[in-house]
Amino acid sequence: MFLLETQHIVKTFGEFKALDDVSIGVREGSVFGLLGPNGAGKTTLIRLINRISRPDKGELLLDGHAMTDDDVRQIGYLPEERGLYKKMRVGEQAVYLAQLKGLSRREATHRLRQWFEKFEIGNWWNRPVEELSKGMQQKVQFIVTVLHEPRLLIFDEPFSGFDPINATLLKNEILALRDKGATVIFSTHNMASVEELCDDIALINNSRVVLHGSVSDIRKSYSNNLFEMVVDDGEVLRLTVPEGQTANDLLSEQLKQHRIVSFHEILPSMNDIFIQTVKEGGQR
Amino acid sequence: MNKILLVIQREYLTRVRKKSFWVLTLLVPVLMAALYAIPIYFALKPMERSVVLVADESGLFGGLDLDDTLRGDSRLVSTENVTYRYVANLDYALRQMDGDAEVDAILYVRSRASEAIPTDACLYYKSDMPTQTMRFDVDKQLQRILRNRLLQAHGISDDEYALISNTKINLRTEDLETGREAFLDIKTGLGFVLAFLIYIVIFMFGSQVMRGVVEEKTNRIVEVIVCSVKPFQLMMGKVIGIALVGLTQFLMWVVLTGVALTGIQMSNSELFRQATEKHEVTELATKGGEAVAQMDQAAQFADVPQMVEGLAAINFKAILPAFLFYFVFGYLLYATLFAAAGAMCDNDTDTQLFSLPLTIPLLLTLLLMPVMINAPSGTLSQVLSIIPFTSPVAMMLRIPFGVPLGQLYWSMALLLLTFPLCTWFAARIYRGSILRYGIKNRLFKKKSK
Repeated sequence: MFLLETQHIVKTFGEFKALDDVSIGVREGSVFGLLGPNGAGKTTLIRLINRISRPDKGELLLDGHAMTDDDVRQIGYLPEERGLYKKMRVGEQAVYLAQLKGLSRREATHRLRQWFEKFEIGNWWNRPVEELSKGMQQKVQFIVTVLHEPRLLIFDEPFSGFDPINATLLKNEILALRDKGATVIFSTHNMASVEELCDDIALINNSRVVLHGSVSDIRKSYSNNLFEMVVDDGEVLRLTVPEGQTANDLLSEQLKQHRIVSFHEILPSMNDIFIQTVKEGGQR
Repeated sequence: MNKILLVIQREYLTRVRKKSFWVLTLLVPVLMAALYAIPIYFALKPMERSVVLVADESGLFGGLDLDDTLRGDSRLVSTENVTYRYVANLDYALRQMDGDAEVDAILYVRSRASEAIPTDACLYYKSDMPTQTMRFDVDKQLQRILRNRLLQAHGISDDEYALISNTKINLRTEDLETGREAFLDIKTGLGFVLAFLIYIVIFMFGSQVMRGVVEEKTNRIVEVIVCSVKPFQLMMGKVIGIALVGLTQFLMWVVLTGVALTGIQMSNSELFRQATEKHEVTELATKGGEAVAQMDQAAQFADVPQMVEGLAAINFKAILPAFLFYFVFGYLLYATLFAAAGAMCDNDTDTQLFSLPLTIPLLLTLLLMPVMINAPSGTLSQVLSIIPFTSPVAMMLRIPFGVPLGQLYWSMALLLLTFPLCTWFAARIYRGSILRYGIKNRLFKKKSK
């Protein structure tokens, strides 16, 4: 079932409608991609989920009940623009942020030590944050986000600023958390990682949800009947099924001329779908 | 509630651990102690003896009588600090000065053309300026000799003269209710000091709040924190945490200054015993009225204990709590506004635009102080000490003069009531602005929820 559901959310700032009738559902235990061009309203929606601000209309449901302030404890949020107190020591600061999420000092310290070991930053505990590299600061921020073991994790561009090794480390940690039962909302412009990680997506453009569903369904629905065929002499052919015919018709046609090694459909990439949808809708 | 305590704790601890906090905490008592110790140091320091050659060609100051037979009141007498050596004339003196490095100056009085009393003398020196002590002593002795000559010429006895010169009107200002001397000068000084002090602490700690808010905003940690803590809690945690820092610092200043001053008094107990004695003699003299000799004796002591006597007349028991109250609530009032202003800033340079205009009411009160001091209970003083945004400074100026309790209570009550209103207003702006940056910030400032 849906862990998080938004129903007909409207949020305006003055004359400006930041969110207009936004309804999405995030299945429990899934990775959900929240996509959209810059300024579409993603951050506004995330802030509503975090109860930093309130919708003008509509409802937010967590586990089927209307969200309350206490529910933020079940959420971990890693914003795109993120920072730490530069002068504070790393460990002390992480404990402080964990305590704000409701962990006791002892429990926070205990869990942090484990995470710091795992991310190999254990000996940075007593150093001021300003001495850390940007990548290491991001590791600390990630740890602080997940430390209180929230049911719902929201990552906004989590991989930006990471080198490929650390990005992979982080990706694996996110998937591990999902496997342990956490639900992940994932906001990014990197469509390759959407295809790789996300089960479902919602695409927001001009304050409205323009695309919502599972990644595979969406890609299928955007099929332009393009197939790729490899014949025995290694030649690769791309063919479009003509109007009024099926893929089977095309294949039987081709079988008469070639010995076929493989034949499969080329679905449009999320990148293509994103660009196509946003262009159709017109970008602000 | 628990979270606001966490915020307060962090704000407090991170600041109290800073080196700059301790530097400032120690620096102020050291400065105070220095202010206190310097006059004492100079009172105790043995003076260097200066040597002055006297070339008195007029003969009026004992110059032509080189064999020391004249009485002390007709010639310059060597003192602790200055040695006078009579020489025949200026030429001789000049040669002496060239040959003898010990000679610091030459006092030259020209020969008289007529019988008229000379009114012109000169102290010549080379390279090193004559000390003030030397100039005072020469001047005093010349005046004394001249006076004696005139008294003799007019046939006035020393006693008659002493009576004339020592009889003075002592104009005091006395409070009818307490019957005590008002010591207006000292109260004025104290009022100025207190008013400036309260402005400085409000401004100093208020801008710390603003800088803290801007720091959180520019490094974007606020994005994470407002997910766990309500903006109001974050704002109030910061305001209260810094208030505690301020109180800690203030308390340490009071205690450390107290310790330092007591130490200085203890190590110079002899001097302070003298000061107290002088104080008692003065008391006696003023009460007795008759004793000219005692007055003279009293006048020998330094001027400092007059201050001490004045300070003793001031009601510190009323001033300290009032200062603490106006500091705490004046700070709280302005700190919330500073926090709101900080939330609207995107960077440190923006804060400079805001910080000074915010304290304009206080600044204006400071500028009006000379007007208010002229009539500490006048209409302007009363109005400014009632308005919450100006009352901390205005009240501090008035307090040393005594403020009717009714006015004090009104002023305090209004300040207390304005604080929650101000907080509510500031919290709205803060919540609406803390997550907005650049142009967006200005556009949607008002309408946000």
